[in-house]
Order: sequence, then C-alpha cells, then structure tokens
Amino acid sequence: MRDYIILTDSTSDLTYEMRQQYGIEYVPMQYIIDGVEYKASLDWESHNPKEYYDLMRNGTRVFTSQILKDTYYEAFHNAISEGKDVIYIACSSALSASINVARLVAMELTQKHPEAGIYCIDSLISSLGQGYLAMEASRKRAAGLSAADTAAYIESIKLCVNQCGTVSSLEYLRRAGRVKASKAFFGNLFGVKPIIISDIKGQNYAYKKAKGTLNARIAIAEHIRDAANGVYEELFLTHADCEEDILLLRDEILKIAPFKNVTVSTIGPIVGASVGPGTVIAFCHGTEVTIEGNE
Amino acid sequence: MQTTLDGIGLHELFTSGYRNLKKNMQAINELNVFPVPDGDTGANMVMTFGGGLRTVSGETAHIGQYMQTLSRAVLLSARGNSGVIFSQFIYGLSRGLAQKESITFPDLAYAFTCAKEDAYRSIITPTEGTILTVIREAADFLTENAQKYPSFEEGFDALQAQMTATLKKTPELLPVLKEAGVVDSGGAGLVCFIDGICAHLRGESVDDIPDWTDISAPAAQTVDFGPDSRLEYGYCTEFILQLMNYKTDLSRFDLQKFTKPLEEMGDSIVAVHNDGIVKIHIHTFTPELVLGYGRRFGEFVSVKIENMSIQHSQVQQEAPQREKVKYAIIAVASGAGIKEYFESIGASYIIDGGQTNNPPVSAFLEAFERFDAEHIVVLPNNSNIILTANQAAESYTQCDVRVIPTKSIVEGYSALSMMNLWCDTVEELLEDMSANLSSVTTGYVTTSIRDTHMDGLDISKGAYIGLDGKHILASEASRVEAAKKLVQQITAATPKEVIIFFYGEGVNEEEIAELSGFLQTEYPMTDIGFVAGRQTVYDFIISLE
Repeated sequence: MRDYIILTDSTSDLTYEMRQQYGIEYVPMQYIIDGVEYKASLDWESHNPKEYYDLMRNGTRVFTSQILKDTYYEAFHNAISEGKDVIYIACSSALSASINVARLVAMELTQKHPEAGIYCIDSLISSLGQGYLAMEASRKRAAGLSAADTAAYIESIKLCVNQCGTVSSLEYLRRAGRVKASKAFFGNLFGVKPIIISDIKGQNYAYKKAKGTLNARIAIAEHIRDAANGVYEELFLTHADCEEDILLLRDEILKIAPFKNVTVSTIGPIVGASVGPGTVIAFCHGTEVTIEGNE
Repeated sequence: MQTTLDGIGLHELFTSGYRNLKKNMQAINELNVFPVPDGDTGANMVMTFGGGLRTVSGETAHIGQYMQTLSRAVLLSARGNSGVIFSQFIYGLSRGLAQKESITFPDLAYAFTCAKEDAYRSIITPTEGTILTVIREAADFLTENAQKYPSFEEGFDALQAQMTATLKKTPELLPVLKEAGVVDSGGAGLVCFIDGICAHLRGESVDDIPDWTDISAPAAQTVDFGPDSRLEYGYCTEFILQLMNYKTDLSRFDLQKFTKPLEEMGDSIVAVHNDGIVKIHIHTFTPELVLGYGRRFGEFVSVKIENMSIQHSQVQQEAPQREKVKYAIIAVASGAGIKEYFESIGASYIIDGGQTNNPPVSAFLEAFERFDAEHIVVLPNNSNIILTANQAAESYTQCDVRVIPTKSIVEGYSALSMMNLWCDTVEELLEDMSANLSSVTTGYVTTSIRDTHMDGLDISKGAYIGLDGKHILASEASRVEAAKKLVQQITAATPKEVIIFFYGEGVNEEEIAELSGFLQTEYPMTDIGFVAGRQTVYDFIISLE
C-alpha cells in the first residue's frame, strides 16, 4: 500500500501543534494588505492575530487570493516524487475556487504519473470543520486505511460536520460575498446576531436570528447540542481575536452538551478576512446537514 | 379672562393659529385622497395664510382695518381649492368685522356668518363633507350659542370642539373620504388653525399641542410625462386677475356671469372676487382659452398651470398594487424616520398611525388589499390600535390575518427584527416575532404639559419626563438627562443587552453624541443603536431588550 500525505490549506485553522500531532501539511493562500501580499500562514508569520484583527477593526480592508497553481504543483509533485499519494482536503468550493485549481494540477500530474493517486476533496466547510476532516483522515491513515478508502470515508462524513457561529458584524461576510442572508433579514438591525451555519452546499448561511450576545450563545449551544444528537465526543471552537467570548460560548455549550474534548484555536487570516474580528464558531461531528440556504 | 379683542390681539391669535397650521402641514397634505390632487392642501393653506400674515404689521389696533389689510393679502396669496376657500373665509370675517374697533366673542357670530356666505360663494358647486361644512356648522353654532360665552377662552374652546366634531363626521358626508379612511384635509387645516388660536388663549405655545396627526415624508417624485404621453387630466390652472377699468366696468362686475363661460372650458371651478381682484381655480384641457378669456377683463397678477397627468402619475405610483407574497407584514407607525426604518427592516407596508392618530378599520382593510398574500401579520404598535387591528383581521376573508398585539413602536421593532420570512409556517413566523416581546421595555421621553406630582416626583410643566409606559421614572430639565436617568432606572431593574434610541424631530447631533458617549461608558457590553425616527411628541422612544 502506498503511503500518503494529508494536505489541507490556510482555511483549515489548524495550529502548528495540531498539524504536528496529526502529520498534516497545508498549502497557503495569500492575503493582501495595502497592496502588499503575504503568505496566509496558519502560524501567523507576518502579523500576529491581535495585529491582524486590529487592522480590520480600524477599517483596513484585507483581500485574499486563492492558492496558486505552482503551490499545488510543488506540494503534489513533492509527494509523488517520494512515492506518496495525496489526500487534499480543500476549503469549501462555495467559499474559495482553490479546489478547481487543485483538480487541474492533480489531473496533469496523474497523467504523467499514472501510479499516483491525488484525491481532492471539497470539504464543503472551512475553519476547524475542515481541519477536523483532515484530523479524521489522519486517524484513518494511522488505522491503516488506504488513501482511496480514507478519501471515500471523508467524502461520506463531510456533511456530518456541523458548524454554528456568529459574527460581530455581517458586513465582512457580506462584503466578501461569503454569506447567504437577505438584506431585509439583517439590514440595519441593532443587537440582532445572525446564527450562521454551513449548509449542504458549503455556504455560510445566516439561518436564524438571536437578540443580543447571550441569546446568540444560547442559540449556538442549542444548535450544536441538537447536531451532536447525544454523542458528545469532540467540540472544536475558533475565534477571531475574542478569547473571552469563545470561552463563554464553550461554557454555554458544555452546560447542555458535555463534550469530552474541547479544542480551541484562532481563526486564521483567510477565514478571518471574510468573517471579521469578534467571530466565534463551534464545530462538531453529528447528524448530517440538510439545510440549504436561500436568499 | 379675555373679554375684548382688538387688531393687535387678533394678530397674535392668528399668528398662533398659523404656526399650528404650519406645524401640521405635512400631515394635512397626506389627507389628500383625490386621485387627481391639485396640489397639497396643507402646504396650500399655509402659503395662503402665511403669505397674507407676512404683509401685515400686527400693530393695527383697529380690528376692522387690520382685517381689511390682512384679508386682501390673504386673497392674493391664496392657492389650491382649500386655500381659496380659506381666503374667502378670512375675507368674510373681515367683512363682518369691518366697522369694529374691537370686539367681544359674540361679535364673531356675525363675522362667521359672513365668512360662511363668502366661502360658499366661491364655489360653483359646493360639496358637503369639506371645509365648507366645517365653516357652515361653525357659523350656525355661533349664531345659536355665541352669547353664552363672555370670554374668548371659553368661546374658542367651545367653537373648537364643535368644529372638531364636524370634521370627524366629514367622512360620513363624503364617500371618497370614508373610502380613504380620512377626514377632509381642508377642514382639518381649519381646525388646526383654530387649535392654534385656542392654545394661545390658554397661554400655551403651539408646540404644546399634540399633533393633529403624524407627519410623514412626501413620496419621492418622478415626472412621468414623455413625448408619447396623453394629456388625460388636463391642467390645474389658477390665476389672480386684477380687473382693469379700461376693460370692464368694475362697479357692475358680476362674478357669476364671469364664471359662466368658464364652465364650458373646465371643471372644479373655484372663483372669488373681492375689490377688483378675481381669483380663479379651474381644471381645464385648454388653459390658453381660460387665460385668454380672463385677460378680456383685466391683467394677471399671477398665473399657475400644472399638468395633472404628471400629478396623477405620482399618485398612481403610490396606488395599491397587489403583490404576491407568502407573508405580508403590516405595521402601524408614525414618524417619517420610523416608517422608513421599519420598511428597511422588512415591513411590507406601513399604516400611518399612533397615539394621536388611531387608524380606522378601513385603513387596515385597504392595507390588506395591497397584497396577494397567504398570510398577513399585523403589528398595531399601540395599545389603542390592537382592537381595531383585530376587528379588521376578523372581517377580512381573502386570506389569513394574524395580529401580534405589539403595544409600542419598540415592541414592533422587536417583532420585525426577529422575523424570518423564509420559515415554512405562519406559526413559526409568529413564534420568532413574538419570542422577545416579553423582555422588551419601552422608554419614552417627552415634556410634561402641566405641573404635577406623580410617582414620587415633583414635575413642573415643560420639564422632560422619562416614562417606561407605566410610571414616570425621571423628570429633568433636559431631555438628554431625562433619557440617561430613565435608562439607568430601567436597567437597574432588569439588565438589558440592546438599547436603541429612536430620536424625534429636533433632537440635534450634540445630544446624540452625548447620549452615545454615556451609553458606551455605562453599558460597554450592550449593543447600542440610534435611529432618526423623526417622530413628534416623544423626543426619544427607547427600546431596551
């Protein structure tokens, strides 16, 4: 059986420690501030999280760009050269077009190297939801599954990763074109927090409203509890420079859904650029997502 | 007690009357129900009387002389149907008071009778249920009762009550008013004018008078008359003509004979003649013939011609269009800013109304008719309107109508802000919209209209008071301080997560900045919002959730 690498990208929000622990690599996207392009490092090589989100708070617009063809080529080619296959768990195709580039590169390379397997999986989610799928792939690899079997497994569970979160302002998501929410639904409302899930198409979908931060936390906790459906194994939490809020959310969830393991990470620069500072998101493996967002 | 009145005193009364008319101008404008409006009644009446008032000094003690100067000036600035009738009313008063140096209240009986005659004389075919009816019944009332009132205070109060009663029944006399669910606009203008006079007699400013009804922004106007348009409604044509000695014999000028040929040229004719000045209002397809005819008798002081097809298209744009929707949300609101805001957050239609202006059942039915909806949800937003909304909902058979008994604008906001129009069933929609109503508190800041002691507070007239709907929780010299105190009192009882200020007409940016700073400091964890509600009566309506 051929060995394989597990590759993800800048939107997986996996910390250095998590990547080390699970043997996961990532290909970076780029972010652009004031015309200067930076590697979207999950280790915050150019700006630290506080600097980065403060820039956004002060009105600096951050642009992002998808993964370059050469970056994919290099990552895939290196693996093949070492005799390895690739499982690439990509950011939701509804949020980034990167996976299309990855598939093109994979096609080119497998034509030249028919023995190699490159599996590009559209995770239909982002942040630690995507990161979780990479961890699951790693666990299956450790359990001895082949690349093909692991890829099939990930495909089969990807819609069972539930996301639920809220943002401090919908403006970032709206500006980035990365949310389904009609203007009348959230236009000019004060104190109304959108409760955002990832739908069956991998879109961020503001499917519900909550009045005030406390009610928003309760709504997220209830959504996660219902999604987990009695199986409280792993809870993943990410935040965009609002640690206090994410800990309050953790407590609120644990009150009604006693997860055994809780992982907290910071939302990386790519997801952060489109959700904005003050965002909190929870993920868990649970029942299959069936909601599809509409305008 | 004021038992006599001279020209100077009358000028003061008229000034106060005019100010109140002006204050309510927009609301009166909106009472225009006719499919082809010839201008806006409120604006026309304001300009009619204001134009006259500006030309008099207010220092003429002789009341007859004062009235003569004023009435002539008012006649010259008269515009619009109601404006012309109003100017005739003033002219009639001047005729009735011509020989007087000063008057007592009972003297007004004769003056009003003259006013009635002149007002009716100006209309070729008088219509009942209009300002004419209000004038006629006022004159009849004074003829019968003026002797009972030795003072102007008592007399005008009684007159005002009588005129208001007549105004209220105008819809019964004029079906078009009843259909539209409004009272006659010209009559309303006249009552506003009298309200202002009463306020002055009570020693109050017109600012103390609750608005006759609420004020709304005029609809955006677009001109829709192009090279291929058809002239469907003709021209609203008005002119003031100075009769010339070399063209006609002024002493033998007969208005009826003069207007006879005009009836061939158009309709809706209003004609007035005083002291060699003729004022004509007519709807005609051939304004050139009308002007040509008029000029045979004199020279124009002024001419105004407006294409009514354009006016009509503006009205048509606002005309009901049945929109096919799953859910239609109909909210009652007043305050131009609040209405706009409610529409921006998802209300399908706003019925104008509130504390001082409870909309009738017909207004709800008319609103329901606008939508081809599966379900209609109504937000009455006032405890006095819930019953009417329920009655309308019950009597409407074309679709399911639900009423969420919201008791204030703030509760209405809460419901609108939580609604989700994609939900599958109306029950879910109602549940979402009602979810937070029990945790909403409404705060109001307004001025006290009298000295009083209430809820343990000594309140002086004119002080700014803060209420939570049930109790007065603050009484302060400034509205900003009253608002701060009120918010503190309410949040001390129940912590709140969201505070929104709907600020009224006249609140300035410094005040908003001060409140904003205060709230951010005192409630750092709270979501704070400000909406230019442009409502009257309440300086602030505060939502605390």
